[in-house]
Amino acid sequence: MAKFEVMVGNKAVAYAAKLARVKFVSAFPITPQTTIVQYLAEMMANGELDADYVNMEGELSCQSSAMTAATTVRSFTATSGPGLLYMHHPMHMTTWARLPLVMAVVHRSTKGMQPDHMDALSQRDTGWLMFECQNSQELLDTGIMSFKIAEDERVRLPTIFMGDGYILSYTSEPVEIPAQEEVDAFLPPYKRPYPMFPEEAEEAMKLMSQMWNPFVDPQNVWKQQQEAAMNAKTVIKEVSSEFEKWFGRSYGNGLVEEYKCENVDAALVAMGTIASTAKTAIDQLQRDGKKVGLVAIKSFKPFPDDDFQRIGAEVKALGVIDRNVSTGTLGGITFTELRHSLYDLDERPVTLNFHAGLRGKEVRVEDLKRMAEKTLKAARGEKVTPLVEWA
Amino acid sequence: MSKPVPLSKLDEKEFIVPANSACQGCAGSIVARIVSKIIGKDMVRQEVACCGPAFGNITQPVFYGEVFEGAGAMMTGFARAFNKLGRDDIRVTGIIGDGGTIDIGFQGLSASAERNEDMLWVCYDNEAYMNTGGQRSSATTKYAETTTTPVGEFSRGKKERKKPLPILVGVHRVPYMATASVAYPEDFIGKLQYAKPVKGFRFIQVSAPCPTGWRFDPMYSVKVAKDMVLSGLWPLYEVVEGGLRITYKPKELKPVKDVLRSQGRFRHITDEEVDEIQADVDGFWARLLEKDGGPLF
Repeated sequence: MAKFEVMVGNKAVAYAAKLARVKFVSAFPITPQTTIVQYLAEMMANGELDADYVNMEGELSCQSSAMTAATTVRSFTATSGPGLLYMHHPMHMTTWARLPLVMAVVHRSTKGMQPDHMDALSQRDTGWLMFECQNSQELLDTGIMSFKIAEDERVRLPTIFMGDGYILSYTSEPVEIPAQEEVDAFLPPYKRPYPMFPEEAEEAMKLMSQMWNPFVDPQNVWKQQQEAAMNAKTVIKEVSSEFEKWFGRSYGNGLVEEYKCENVDAALVAMGTIASTAKTAIDQLQRDGKKVGLVAIKSFKPFPDDDFQRIGAEVKALGVIDRNVSTGTLGGITFTELRHSLYDLDERPVTLNFHAGLRGKEVRVEDLKRMAEKTLKAARGEKVTPLVEWA
Repeated sequence: MSKPVPLSKLDEKEFIVPANSACQGCAGSIVARIVSKIIGKDMVRQEVACCGPAFGNITQPVFYGEVFEGAGAMMTGFARAFNKLGRDDIRVTGIIGDGGTIDIGFQGLSASAERNEDMLWVCYDNEAYMNTGGQRSSATTKYAETTTTPVGEFSRGKKERKKPLPILVGVHRVPYMATASVAYPEDFIGKLQYAKPVKGFRFIQVSAPCPTGWRFDPMYSVKVAKDMVLSGLWPLYEVVEGGLRITYKPKELKPVKDVLRSQGRFRHITDEEVDEIQADVDGFWARLLEKDGGPLF
């Protein structure tokens, strides 16, 4: 039986790992992630979780050990901000080895303790799938789905599920904890992705020469990784709807969540807790008869190109909110990715960009309403400036 | 160490296939051959950036880690996962160069030793980053010329002493720590045979002279290794749970002078510099003799 408990976001993450029956956890403290590994340690101490738990000496080692453990058992680790940057090197190795490791990232700025998305988006091209969450329930649910998506034969890529530090990590909300039997039925036991045992030596050698032989085509590693990430779009949708059947909850189609987007002229696009705050702004604006909705990016990697092409053809303007900056490029990271998705449309909507919430700067409902009004103005065909602003 | 099985009595099966892309006279290859022969079919191997890929023609499963600094952590993941599935028969073995052990890999080495992870870490010590063309490492002997410590009007080669890694590992009080040399294969084999079934962290640092980097004729790799042991430049000893034992005691140490002079990397060395190294070697050997049969600290 599912049960409810009021818990902070970090505990919801720990529950996701526990319900997925992870067998290996590598732990290292960093604010605001730390309590995830503390909760897992408690679960181990109470006998609620049967895993091998190792206190590593740094995040690089957390990532490296979870990577090799994932050749054999379901593995999990978690980090934040600078810790994630320190993992960067083995993260590339994990995708090279195509190991379906799952990691939780509790966003922390790379320039300060407060949250923004620079930590995860700095890992954009490591090949990891990345799923963003807006609340604690979504963290728990996305965690469970992440294992299923990552381990799917068509994907087999390491996966991050993530949420904003402090705003989610230390805020209590009621969360439904699914029953273990149901999670077991939804998420099959881990299949060892590679022959790594000594008696499988011959098989291992054969596979290595197929998958990583640079003499066939040196680009193959990247090509296969890209194919897998693109395949993931289908898998994410399947897993998302299967999850809904089992547990009665869904987050859009798993790639994007469209909130009140029927018959709107414009939409805000946001990721993470800014999107959940934006829902209130959209509610208030629609009550006043303003035709503006919200699109929350659920999957940053793979990027939901198809969904944005469909949405882009239906609205006249999109106001993209970026809790990040790609210095030297006009606009934030999701803004440039989204504009790329829209490029092939015959009629493209106007796109505006707002840098907001970096280093934990507060983003209030009023701020989001103002951004939505500006986007609506552009949708009416009025000239608005600047195209990219620091909100 | 165990009483070594004479080489002639060892199982003939080799786990390293003939021919590889290592340099002529590569002592690292000898280390790989002996380790794979003794650990054999129970071995899953970890490799990081080093000369290893050149002599990595070992038939047991291997995980090549791009992650140069990650040997300790990667072997931790393997050992823990295998043990979790009840496969504690698998011997997780690293054949790792001195850079990946002593410099960039040192954090992971110390941490794995401290956690007493179930792994066998064999460091083949050729005293520099030989795979990238012989750059100085903290395992390089003082005054040695390397490509990043060239000898010239203002430079006498490496300025610092070799890092005393075996002692550093020994003071972690791991179940097993030993030095070995390619010139004393039976001593090395005895140590591997002892270490193989032991649970927990086991470390063997093997002297593996590099003709390319040390600049001597490839036919003398084993001779150079032997001279290093006979001169006390590379003493053979082991530390079991904190207790030290010298495993080979030359009656009298050969002077280091000729041993150093036989290597091109020390061609420039003056008599005073030789004396300095000689004093270091004598001092260390005297301390080893003092500790022999007792605790390391």
